[in-house]
Amino acid sequence: MMETYPLLAGALLFPLGMLLACLWPGALLRMPSYLAFAPIPAFAAVLFVADVSPLVVGPPRLHLTFTLDLPGALLLGVAALLWITAGAYASPYLQGRPNRGRFAVCWLAALTGCIGVFLAADMVGFYLFLAMLTLGACGLIIQHETADAWRAGALYIGLGLLAETLLLIAFVLLAADIPGNGLLIADAAAALPTSPHRDLIISLLIAGFGMKAGLVPFHVWMPRAYAAAPTPAAAVLSGAAVKASILGMIRFLPLDTALPHTGTLLAAAGLFAALYGVVIGMTQRRPKVVLAYSSVSQMGFIVAVIGMGMIAGDGRAALAAIFYSANHVLVKGALFLSIGVIAATGRRYLWPMLLPVAIIAVGLGGLPLTGGALAKIVVDGPLGDGAANTVATLSAVGTTLLMLQFVRGLITTVSTDQEATAAPSLFWPWLSTAAASLVVPWALFLAVPEGMLPNPLAPELLWKALFPVLLGAILAAVVWRWVRRLPHIPEGDIVVVLDSCVKIAPAWGKTIEQAEGMLRRWHVAGISLLALTLALGAALLAQ
Amino acid sequence: MPATTVLDATTADGALLVLAIVLPVVGILLSFVLGGRYAERIAGVLLPAGFIVACIIFLKVWQGGEPLIYIVGGWQPPLGITLRADGLSVAMMVAMAIVICLIGVFAHANFGSRAASVETRAPLVFWVMLMAISGAMNMIFLGGDLFTLYVALELLTFAAVPLVCLDGRVETLQAALRYLLFALLGSILYLVGTALLYGSYGTLDIVLMSQRVRLEPATLAAATLMTLGLFAKTALFPLHLWLPPAHAGAPAAASAVLSAVVVKGSFFLIVRLWFDALPGLLSVAASQLIGVLGASAIICGNIVALRQKRLKLLIAYSTVAQIGYLFLMFPLAFSADPSPHHYGDALTAGMLQTISHATAKAAMFMAAGLIYAALGHDRISELGGIARALPMTMFAFGLGGLCLIGLPPTGGFLAKWLLLEATIATAQWWWAIVIIAGGLLTSAYIYIVLSRTMGPPNAPLTLYAAVPKYQEVAALGLACLSVLLGLVALGPIDVLQVGRPEAPMAGLR
Repeated sequence: MMETYPLLAGALLFPLGMLLACLWPGALLRMPSYLAFAPIPAFAAVLFVADVSPLVVGPPRLHLTFTLDLPGALLLGVAALLWITAGAYASPYLQGRPNRGRFAVCWLAALTGCIGVFLAADMVGFYLFLAMLTLGACGLIIQHETADAWRAGALYIGLGLLAETLLLIAFVLLAADIPGNGLLIADAAAALPTSPHRDLIISLLIAGFGMKAGLVPFHVWMPRAYAAAPTPAAAVLSGAAVKASILGMIRFLPLDTALPHTGTLLAAAGLFAALYGVVIGMTQRRPKVVLAYSSVSQMGFIVAVIGMGMIAGDGRAALAAIFYSANHVLVKGALFLSIGVIAATGRRYLWPMLLPVAIIAVGLGGLPLTGGALAKIVVDGPLGDGAANTVATLSAVGTTLLMLQFVRGLITTVSTDQEATAAPSLFWPWLSTAAASLVVPWALFLAVPEGMLPNPLAPELLWKALFPVLLGAILAAVVWRWVRRLPHIPEGDIVVVLDSCVKIAPAWGKTIEQAEGMLRRWHVAGISLLALTLALGAALLAQ
Repeated sequence: MPATTVLDATTADGALLVLAIVLPVVGILLSFVLGGRYAERIAGVLLPAGFIVACIIFLKVWQGGEPLIYIVGGWQPPLGITLRADGLSVAMMVAMAIVICLIGVFAHANFGSRAASVETRAPLVFWVMLMAISGAMNMIFLGGDLFTLYVALELLTFAAVPLVCLDGRVETLQAALRYLLFALLGSILYLVGTALLYGSYGTLDIVLMSQRVRLEPATLAAATLMTLGLFAKTALFPLHLWLPPAHAGAPAAASAVLSAVVVKGSFFLIVRLWFDALPGLLSVAASQLIGVLGASAIICGNIVALRQKRLKLLIAYSTVAQIGYLFLMFPLAFSADPSPHHYGDALTAGMLQTISHATAKAAMFMAAGLIYAALGHDRISELGGIARALPMTMFAFGLGGLCLIGLPPTGGFLAKWLLLEATIATAQWWWAIVIIAGGLLTSAYIYIVLSRTMGPPNAPLTLYAAVPKYQEVAALGLACLSVLLGLVALGPIDVLQVGRPEAPMAGLR
């Protein structure tokens, strides 16, 4: 095995170096063609780093620490794969489009942030790279510069910054609890159960990461952002970037300590989002929006798994949630990429292209032998046998239905040219992501020592996975045959409320502006000066 | 009682402190003697020289861990005048010297003296006033007694007012008069307070005063008057009536000096007054009142900034808001349960905020000035396409914005982290809410400006003037500094505590 440090440092420094190289105009011009290379060192690090010895950067007093623990490695590995294929896909996608250079810069910033978050072992580094990820992602969302894109970007960065501020307060509180001067996340998580501010910190963490993960009602950014972002960007954002929130929850929340109340709330919120995403997603027409709602649902499900782990104080739920996330990274990435491929394909070649899409799409609902089915088996333990499991089955039925709806919507986007085929440079990255989404979960599953997990080929498990899928398919047939019109709900559903608030805001702003104008008059300013003198004098004397 | 040892001997290298103040004064005199055509060249030599002197003083204080002291003419206080460079002084001196030098580079385009041209008013006034501000700021940072500080403060005001009305238009003259009148009101309040203190203690030397000071009505009345006078000069909400027209109407280089440097002078005096001259006298109620003023500045200033139609006014209101952040250090440092740790943290946070705001805001005003020069206007709704025409300028604006929002690794982030830490340690969560809300509002107007400039132009873009590259580089340099300031956590942040007496404990209460 190779030395750890150069690999970890390379994983981070290579994309960062490419980002800095963009300062040179010549490099910026060519950068869009080389995006696929940026995550390769990170992928190599996952394959070759054997131990968890940390990489420490900076002087002893205040330093950044990076390490590759098991959850981080799992997510980083699949995320790097997706970043590589989506980067390859982005190169032809960008050809002839405006703002290619800016896309490359934002892409590399988001990528560096994503890798940094997965590797960061201390709070400052985690926060730094999370902010970098948010800024880069915002740049990717506004790439097309349409009015919708700007609105989506504003919503994304607004909620993102709010989430980060909540997290910042949580981190500051945690920093006060860590004995000594260290800021390691592991120490913070260990100190959290006995902290005097425990409940406050956990609420802040859940609120912050929940916003980033798109938990209802903070999911509003997801449909808008993913619909506005260019296809390859939507793939990495929905696949890789959003998983930073899951990793954050797992790293910071004390999953080994049973916290039944918080856990129940978290699980309930997650399961609600899992169903809510499906229901609203069914009313949507645009494939990207349908996928975004599916992400709301899937992220909710993953949060629910973490919540169930909190109820039981079972640390193993963390790995189960990570496994489920890893599967989602590749599947969602491949599905987003397929939107561009199908749009470039004519009717004649549609079905051979649609078949893999359909398989991995329905796999998300748990189609036997796919990664989705394996993921369901892995999370079965933490979900238990109670109501959570029933809701999980329901969500699997709903996800199948939603995914079939997605495939159906995809057919309508097919190219008008009968004979058209997708360019190989779009086709191969997409196909390799799809293939990886089928192979990688098996490889991970088989790496688990035998006996810890049930045999996925056992007939009763096959049936258990198959029956929600069948039910979903039947439901889809029923909906398509008999329901003439589904209600139309605007993209981002309850964000409409926010929009109307934004419309009221100018009135308030105007009032404040007028009041401020009043304060700037001479006599008013004179009176304020006098009043403040008296007030300050009184306040000073009152001791 | 803190600080029982009286440091009243000139230390080695103390003469450097005199040099820091005298250099700009020499520059001013030379400019008048040689004429306006040479003013820029004189400033071009003396301002960098001042920066080097500041750096040397910084290094001596940082490495020595002791303040530098110079007794002028060998006359001991309370009779003589002491110059004293502690950690706060040297950090501010270096930061302001960098900002002033880069503003000088930027101003070359607007106030450069072309060869063999006739002497014109604006360049002479600008360069002389820039040197005067540099000297006055150094005097404020180094002055060891309250009367020297008064003189420095007056010098600063009289150097700043002409900068507002350099172009001589009616509205800028009005803005300058407004500024002058309100600043004079502030000066009078400060002077009355100083006289009262002298009457009570027979000295104005800060170290001597801190040892003699007693909790009595006359002292408190004096402190109130001085503080209010300084509030008026710092444009703390709601006494900010002069700031938006003055800062938005001045030429870009002058706006940058006014916003980044000048308001920090009177703020620094407030810090000197309460932390050094009258330690432990600020009651919890009074510190909360100051905090409330700061908080209303943050909320109100940001909201009004959000509604501005012109870029320079938006930035000016953003300054009103950012000044509010500076004053949050008072309730955090003088909380109900004082501990030396939070006291130091709050002070560090406030100073860091001062410096990072100086760099970021100067960069933003420069960027706005370049946009104005290129387009002939700065109406935000018509800025479409300018980001493509001036990418480096907009990049500088964006980086400065990141610092104001407080994203890592900027200096603004580090300041906010320290402030939040202090709010939590002293259990004053309400200030944390203000800090968060302020950051979100800031991000809203930065986003609006950036989205407008990156959007498509309403009409084909016509650029009135080519923007010199070095002006863009100066703006970008300042913006990069504000971003990299967060990294001072790795090194010289301790210097701020050099020469500070231990935090006042309950002794005086």
